[in-house]
Amino acid sequence: MPAIHIRGLGLISSYGRGVACAVEGMRAGRTGITPLTLFSLPFQNQILVNQFDHTSFPPGAACATATMVAVAQEALSEARLDADALRDAALVVGTSSFLFAGEADFWRTLADTGETDMPPLTPPGQAALRVAGQLGIEGPVLTLTTACSSSANALLVAAALLRRGEVRRALVIGVEGLSAIALSGFHSLMLLDPEGCRPFDAGRRGMQIGEAVGAVLIESSDAAGGGDRLLGGANLCDTHHMTSATPDGSAMRSVMEMALADAGLQPADVAVIKAHGTGSLDNDTAEAAAMRALFGDDLPPFTGIKRYLGHTLGACGAVELAAFLGCLRAGFVPPAAGFTKPDSALRIKPLTEFRSAPKGVAMLNFFGFGGNYASLLIAHV
Amino acid sequence: MHKNSHSRPVYIHAAAALGPHGDIARAERRTLHGDPPPLELKELVKTVVGVSLRQASHLVELAAIGSQLCIKRLSYPVPENTAVYLGTGLAEVRKNDAVFRQVMPPGPGLASPFDFINAANNMAAFYTAKLGNLRARNLTITQEEFSFEWALHLAAADLRTGEYRQALVGGVDENSLSRVGHLRRIALRDDQPMGEGSGWLVLSVAAEQAVGELVEVKHVARDTELFEALRAALHAWQQPGEPLTLLPGLRIEPAEIVRLTRTLPNLRIQDYLAFCGCFHSAAAFGIAALFDMPVAPGLFVHLNRDASGHALLCAVRVF
Repeated sequence: MPAIHIRGLGLISSYGRGVACAVEGMRAGRTGITPLTLFSLPFQNQILVNQFDHTSFPPGAACATATMVAVAQEALSEARLDADALRDAALVVGTSSFLFAGEADFWRTLADTGETDMPPLTPPGQAALRVAGQLGIEGPVLTLTTACSSSANALLVAAALLRRGEVRRALVIGVEGLSAIALSGFHSLMLLDPEGCRPFDAGRRGMQIGEAVGAVLIESSDAAGGGDRLLGGANLCDTHHMTSATPDGSAMRSVMEMALADAGLQPADVAVIKAHGTGSLDNDTAEAAAMRALFGDDLPPFTGIKRYLGHTLGACGAVELAAFLGCLRAGFVPPAAGFTKPDSALRIKPLTEFRSAPKGVAMLNFFGFGGNYASLLIAHV
Repeated sequence: MHKNSHSRPVYIHAAAALGPHGDIARAERRTLHGDPPPLELKELVKTVVGVSLRQASHLVELAAIGSQLCIKRLSYPVPENTAVYLGTGLAEVRKNDAVFRQVMPPGPGLASPFDFINAANNMAAFYTAKLGNLRARNLTITQEEFSFEWALHLAAADLRTGEYRQALVGGVDENSLSRVGHLRRIALRDDQPMGEGSGWLVLSVAAEQAVGELVEVKHVARDTELFEALRAALHAWQQPGEPLTLLPGLRIEPAEIVRLTRTLPNLRIQDYLAFCGCFHSAAAFGIAALFDMPVAPGLFVHLNRDASGHALLCAVRVF
């Protein structure tokens, strides 16, 4: 079976454009929290968000495609490939509902004309086709919408295309914009922490929503070496509830076990974990239980990075992979920003200080609404 | 999309199609003469699923009825380790509309929690898994006209590589209740009725109890190659003397169908869109309904294209 090499990464986040920009911010211990200025909400002052600078992108829904193209170009640049290298590649996009793009058009029309007509909402698949057209991609194009695991699943699907020999190269993009609807919905569900994300902390009260776009360019190769690799992964549906995990973490444990089996690894092979770590009461409880059950007393160091980047929902698979792998390449594992007080009920504690990046296997977990879970295993060399 | 695909056959063990009249069986299918009227599904949900899904969206209802019907048509209990692949072009249209109007001006600015949860595009696949007690891979693919075909392709590939032995694959889309609303999202010709529906297949690597076979899902990169690709594919797929029927998708123009029938003289055409109307994942209805329509055994090839001009062929064999 050919190895899946990670050839390039791209990122636009609240830290700015580029993976390096986010890595430097995280290395400096800065969180990317910004005020919400894109639009107004009745509870605007009660939340913290991560928002990127839109000034260098076109307004409205076109912003989404422009940012997707921009992160693709960054990934190509890192891989030292020109745009022609994508001609036969697959494009696999992960996002949630893409409502943010329609909202962006709505706000623009409201500002320009004062009209509040509902705009034609852009289906995510349509945006993927536009991006493929702009990048000259003539290979397969598909879009996964599995809530917060969308772009992690997109990476798994893309890797499967490579392993089966359907394409030799694939570009995976996770995209999510700040959405008034998403913020309002999570506010209604009382899932937003007014103090921001505090993963696994005793005082955690919910999420901190962010917007970002991430790209991962992968390639199959029979050659040894060649940098970081995707070793395997898994996806699983936890049917316990639409919005909450099986409380004992058994479904989360299962998807991690399936990922390890897919990669031919044992729990002891995992050197570091990037937890999903939303900071929500139930999700962190289940995730902690899952990690305890799978790793026992040998739980590797783990962290959560949503205080830095925000929870970027459908994009977080690609976005957090790009940022986390960027940190590992820069030689460090960031602590779980926002964590200050251990929760005795969880009986585990994330990293509170910077740690040197271990060589070896990193596990990255993503657990979404609709019980949709994904676990990825990356070899960092 | 087709490389290495012949290593292991993929069989169809059950199928179910729900149409825009609430039709779930051959005797209930009706030709559309214009856009279908609004469809109320609460009672059918109770009948087929056995429980009320009070908080579920219309899309979830469509998915629940279709998937449960498909599972119940199996002659054996569906294994828990059955993966779910759901293709939907537009996903939660009505719930997205609802939360948009609640939150955006001049709305009150707050989303209903239930509407918000149900607006998640993967909720239909979640309910499919929950109602079927399926704890396995669960993917929602939202790729316009190819949503269902991609779901089918990913499922078949996972079966052929041995990752799963069984898969439940569906295509589900809802309409937007008014034609104007529908046309905001999906371009249709004036003579094309809007539609909605739910089509499902249980795929398996086991030959026993199969009612059909998924032969292949084939990607044709350039539209100009379509006729040649179709001819080559048919040559590879069709067995000697086997009847061949083409199911044209919603983006295939009438003139192209005429040209195809001239090029391939023994080709039969099945206009399934006359029964379900036009929606992105209509292919799922067309293919699943083959198994409850009075069709002779043979090879059936669905043909469609997307806005970028790429085409997909999907071939199934009815036993």
